Parts: sequence; C-alpha cells; structure tokens
Amino acid sequence: MKGTVFIVDDDDAVRDSLCFLLKTVDLASQTFTSGEEFLQNYDEEMNGCILLDIRMPGTSGIEVQKKLQELACKLPIIFITGHGDVPMAVEAMQSGAFDFIQKPFRDQELLDRIYQALEAHEADEEEASKEREARNRYSGLTPREKEVMEFVVKGAANKVIAIDLGVSQRTVEIHRARVMEKMEARSLAELVRMSMLLED
Amino acid sequence: MSASSIPTEDPNVRFSQLDSLMNAMVDAFIVIDGSGNIERFNKAAEDMFGYAADEIQGQNISVLMADHDRAHHDKYISRYRKTGKKKVIGVGREVIGRRSDKSEFPADIAVGEVRGADGSLHFIGLVRDLTELREAQAQSFRQRQEMLNTSRLSTMGEMAAAMAHELNQPLSAIANYSAASLRLLKNENTDLDTIKEALEQINNQAHRASEVIRRTRDFTRSTETRREMTTVPDIMREVLPLAELDAHANNIALEVDIADNLAGIEVDSLQIQQVLLNLLRNGVDAMQGVEPEFRRITVSALYSAPGELSIVVKDQGEGISAETAEKLFNPFFTTKNTGMGMGLAICRTIAEAHSGSLEFRRNPDRGVSFVLKLPTKATG
Repeated sequence: MKGTVFIVDDDDAVRDSLCFLLKTVDLASQTFTSGEEFLQNYDEEMNGCILLDIRMPGTSGIEVQKKLQELACKLPIIFITGHGDVPMAVEAMQSGAFDFIQKPFRDQELLDRIYQALEAHEADEEEASKEREARNRYSGLTPREKEVMEFVVKGAANKVIAIDLGVSQRTVEIHRARVMEKMEARSLAELVRMSMLLED
Repeated sequence: MSASSIPTEDPNVRFSQLDSLMNAMVDAFIVIDGSGNIERFNKAAEDMFGYAADEIQGQNISVLMADHDRAHHDKYISRYRKTGKKKVIGVGREVIGRRSDKSEFPADIAVGEVRGADGSLHFIGLVRDLTELREAQAQSFRQRQEMLNTSRLSTMGEMAAAMAHELNQPLSAIANYSAASLRLLKNENTDLDTIKEALEQINNQAHRASEVIRRTRDFTRSTETRREMTTVPDIMREVLPLAELDAHANNIALEVDIADNLAGIEVDSLQIQQVLLNLLRNGVDAMQGVEPEFRRITVSALYSAPGELSIVVKDQGEGISAETAEKLFNPFFTTKNTGMGMGLAICRTIAEAHSGSLEFRRNPDRGVSFVLKLPTKATG
C-alpha cells in the first residue's frame, strides 16, 4: 500500500509502539511528538493519513485538525482518543475527521482503519490528479474550441452546433476533433467525465 | 452614651433633647414604660416596623412581636418587676419582629432600663434587623454545602479520569508491542532480537502502569490521614449555626445535648462536620410534611462505651422502610428527587476512615436516629 502514516502523539511509548506495529505490516510511518512539530513539517506533497492523538499538551489534536483544514490539507485524520473523550471525538468527526479509535485498541481494528484511510486518500488523490490534468488540458483550448466542447458534452449534434455558432458543419467537425485531441479523450464518455470534473 | 451620663430630669425632656440623635441612628430605638406601652419610636424604628411614631405611641410593645415572643413578653416584664431576674436586659437576644403588614423578620434586641425623676421605670430597646445577615449566612451555608459535596465528588471523578488516562498510555503501548510481536512470530524468518526489543518495551510499560497505580494510592492515603485534636463542642460550634438556619427555615426545632465529660477526639474536623451536616440535612428532609408538634431534631453526644463516643442525630420524621434501610448506605441510592445518593455512602466512608462507624436505628416512638461512633483516647 502506498502512503505514509503520520503518527502525532506526545507519549513516547504509544508513538514508538505504533511505529513498531506498522513496521510489522510493512506500512511506512513517520512520528511527531507534538501538534506543533507536525504542523511545522507539514507540506502539500505528503501522501497517506494522519494518526492524531486528540489530547496533547500544547496544540491539541482538534486544533491541529483546524489548522490543517485552513491549509486545505486533504490527508484523512484518524483520531486516537482516550477514556471519556467521546464528546471531543464526535466534534472531530463533525469537523470532517475520517475516523476515531479508542485507546487501548486491537491492532487489527487500527490497521483496518488505516488501510481504509489510505485507500480513501489514494482515491481522492487520483480524482484530484485527474481534475488537475483535465484543467491543464482545458486551458489549452481556444475560446471557440471551449464553446464547441460545451455543446458536445451536452449531446448536441454537429449540425445543431454549426447553426448555433453560425459556422459550417465542417468547421465544427474540425474543432471537435481538436477538442478530443487536446483533452486526450478517447471517447465522448471520457470527455463528459472530464467536463464534470471541471464543473466542481 | 451610657444611661448614667443622662442627667436625671423629666425623662420626656431628656428624650426630646435626644430626638435628633435617635433619628440619626441606624438601629431602631424604642422606649416603653413599665407596662410595655410605647413612648418613643425613632425614624429607624418607623422604617423597620412600618408604623409612624404618632400611630404607635401608647400601644403595647407586643404589637411589634411575633405571636411566639408576644405571649412571653408580658410575663418577662412582670417577672422582672417582681423578681429583678434579668432575661434580656444587658444581654441581648434574638427575636422575631413583626411589621405593620404582619410580615415577620429576625431581629436582635438589646434592652436597658432607665428610671424617671419620679422613680418610674422605663425600658430602652435597640433593635437591629437581622434579615440581611441571615440571608447572607444562609447563602454561605448553601455554598459551603455545595462545595463540600461537589469537591469530594469532583475530586473522585477527576482522579478516576486522570488515572484512566494515565493507565491507557502504557496499556496502549503494551497492546501495540504485543500485537506486533504476535504478527512477527507468524513469520519464520523473524529476527528474534526484534521480538526481544518489543518484550523489553512491554516490560517497561507494565512497570509504568503499576507506578501510576502506586502514585494514586499514595495520593488517596495522604488525603485521608489529616488528623487534629479537637472536641465535640468545637465541631458542633462550626456545624450548629448552619444547621440552625436550615432547621429554622423549615420550622424545625433543633435541640443540642452534649455531655460535658467528653474527651478530645483526633479527627479530620472538616470531614466530621460534613458528616454531621449531612445527617442534620437528612433529618430536616425527613420531616417535610410532618405535623408541627413532631418537628424536632435532637443532636446529642455521649460516651457509648469506654473509649468510644457517639454523636446521635435523632429526627421524628416518617421513618425508613425496610426496603430503603437495606440500601441506605449504598452509593447512588437516593429517595430524594434531587440527590446524588452519595451523602450517606460518603459519611460512612468518612466514619470508617476514622476507625468509627455510622449506623442508624429506629426510635421507639417515631423517626430514626443516626449514630456516628468515634474512638476517643480517654474513657468516659
């Protein structure tokens, strides 16, 4: 599985034991002793998920979550909570946390959540990279090609487009071919999917 | 100004000279003649009782008293005149005053006597309204009760939460290391040194967990061993003003009977006060809706055995059913709508921590008695 598990916990033993456990299933991890340390080292290129202790001296887990949201961080967060932290965990979930797990936990329970988080992030990333590519290609279209693409993805026939735009059907056909080429769409269905990504 | 410095002339002249002084006084100032008829009534008295001086002059002082005090007042005066035995004069005491609108209020009175030039007897009364003082006392009583109740509970709750958190850390680490080791052992090629490392960590974390428990135990022990030498009367002195307020507010008479031969006791005074307040509070609660003639709580202290004294809080309430009696001292058991059900459980814990006990028994006539037994060094 791709991606790194970023472990943020102030307790040395908990942190190191998590790192040890993840190593036995060949999951890469990186540890941070505080919310501040993680925020200082955070960059957009990070890939994986965050295992975040909810109760830490200094910046709490909840505060780390808020700061990361301000940075538009998309890494899924799994909160580690203790006895009696349920109200905080609920708050975290409402703010968009991926999941939470209560200490002490069964290893399989934790690993399942981590796998789910990594998969979710991978899917997110794939979606995001497709969107980035689509935008990139779209920006290479001429204004006229963009107009034609708008008609095409709505299912308009070349004849209709030609009348609407006041050009010949042949011209529409050329524009259409250029759109498919520039957008690297192998089929109309693919072009429609890309146009949907662009709408968001 | 003392009575002796007033020149002996006609008292009316003297008083008129004092009018401006009287009216400047914060306390009510009332002069009555030997039969109890009002002669002087200052501005503060007008405000306090709601009568104008003109309308009250010539009336008997008893109109300013609650029924209970009124019945006795004429007797006091006649007895004093006959026997010279002072009940109030020069002493001061607390009474219930009555305003023109029939509302009542607690008041403190001090009485002095003067003789007119003709030898006639007059009494001067200084009355202070205690309403605000009583309200402030009741307020501090409630706050204190709440503080006593919640401080113990929240300390217990906080300690439990802190301990749970502290124990969860090493337990989580142990769970992680051992789970990882089990996974590693499934693989034949695993380097045993890696497993050894995990086992060492597990060992460390187990010791860390037991250290948490040891520290918690030390903490609870140290809070239980605060002891100081004191006496039952000293403890009652702290408890009674508060208990009296509570009893008074519920129209309950509170009687105290402490044997005078009691030796000192070595206790945590605050905790024992808390127990007694709790028992008295329960007694007051037990007498809600009981006929006035039974509304009486008695607190007595006596030697119940050599080296053991008992403080007994006796009510005349409805009593306790067999079913309730069984669970009376259980934590979280309550018959009240607003209780936590911790009062008696905590009281018994405190009694036992003092090598004493807390039991209850049914009175032969009615109600129940709670008996707090405490060890004392001297024998009775």
